[in-house]
Amino acid sequence: MLEKILPQNIYSILSKYVSTNALNEIRLRVDKPIVLAIGNQKFFLSDHGTTGNLKEAMCSSKTMLEDIVFKASEYSLYSVNEQIKRGFLVTHGGIRLGLGGDLIEEKGDIKTLTNFNSINIRIPHEIKNCSLSCFDFILQEDKILNTLIISPPGAGKTTFLRDFVKQLSERNFAFNVLILDERGEIDLGNKGCIGNFADKISFASKKVGFENGIRSLSPNLIITDELGTKEDIDAVCYACNCGVSIMASVHADSVDELINKQSFEKIIKDKVFKRFVVLSLRNGPGTLEGIYNENLSRLSNRYFGR
Amino acid sequence: MKILLIVVFSILFFSIGFKFYLKYKKRYLFFESLVFLCQKFDVEIAFSRQRIQNIISTLDEKLKQNLSGIDKNYLSCMESENLIEKEKLFENINFLNEEEKNNIFLFFKSLGRTDLENQLKELKNYENKFLTLQTTSNNEFKKYGKLSIKLGIIACLMVVVIFL
Repeated sequence: MLEKILPQNIYSILSKYVSTNALNEIRLRVDKPIVLAIGNQKFFLSDHGTTGNLKEAMCSSKTMLEDIVFKASEYSLYSVNEQIKRGFLVTHGGIRLGLGGDLIEEKGDIKTLTNFNSINIRIPHEIKNCSLSCFDFILQEDKILNTLIISPPGAGKTTFLRDFVKQLSERNFAFNVLILDERGEIDLGNKGCIGNFADKISFASKKVGFENGIRSLSPNLIITDELGTKEDIDAVCYACNCGVSIMASVHADSVDELINKQSFEKIIKDKVFKRFVVLSLRNGPGTLEGIYNENLSRLSNRYFGR
Repeated sequence: MKILLIVVFSILFFSIGFKFYLKYKKRYLFFESLVFLCQKFDVEIAFSRQRIQNIISTLDEKLKQNLSGIDKNYLSCMESENLIEKEKLFENINFLNEEEKNNIFLFFKSLGRTDLENQLKELKNYENKFLTLQTTSNNEFKKYGKLSIKLGIIACLMVVVIFL
């Protein structure tokens, strides 16, 4: 998919000198050097691959950024304007473009984002079996415990969720899984990515997605990315009251940081989530730091590594 | 020999007349199809936010034929690195003048570049422009298209008279 959205010269340098398996992010800013995030390190893009030397770095132009967004929208910006308004754009294959530019507001409503001045291209990677070591802790007596995946940005929350759905399907646990894919990142669109028992609602808010999904698709488990607002938490509580299991993710470095988040205070106190899985970037994305129960006690002292 | 020359010149003059007739007809059908295309874009985009490529690739055969290949040229432009290029867009289309080409080029260039509201406004604007061109080309067709055929026939008859 990268070849379809990037300018030919940049793509050929990347495919020639950079391993796309290790490439996590490409950051483009108008008239600024192009930055690549490879593993935990940052490099500039140059004519001969990567460099640490600013003078050799390739710069991106305004036209380049506009063309990238135009191509990523499949030449139809209006068709993805709802995403653009929220500052991102997801292509087929799950590549997410975070967008910076001028926000146009009219009577309090965001109309669109224009004059793009920065793009952060995030490339998803499959980390095979990354959720497997948590399986026994999350699945109990053929029921999936409400689980919250905790990690800083880019540490593999979405990858974990995607792998978990796939593992369920491969082990033939015929749970009806509903993926509420608010930003279109969980399902990469390739065959087998989300298994055989998953339904999907994309680009809907948590509130609308949970309500509609529960009513129309009767899921046993709802998987969703990045809880944050009070409305998200209310949607989770609504699902739990309907007897549906939840697996969600949240931005935080540790359980302690999560406890300090005001919007999560109530559900932690009410023990809505029975399991907390903490991921980090320590040994690369997807490093499993620990699994905790509803009392926030660590369930296993063994080192998981990766 | 005389008869052979009469036949050859008659065919030649009639073909020239018919060629001009076809040119005016093609122009008229082309602009008429552009108006249809704008209306189709308008409906499909407003209703289901269909992507431009999807709309173009599902056009019916007659409309495609009347668009004289500009639809295919546009799609192949989109596949290329520099996106839309004027020369490539009008490949094999030789019945338009520079001003018309500029207008049509700007129309295709504007596709998919804005949000829904502005896209629909742009489409309406271009539809009106193409409607004017359609009317003009229809008048030209009625006036010069039929005249070309008549002139071709008159030229044929003159050849017959001269040679006989």
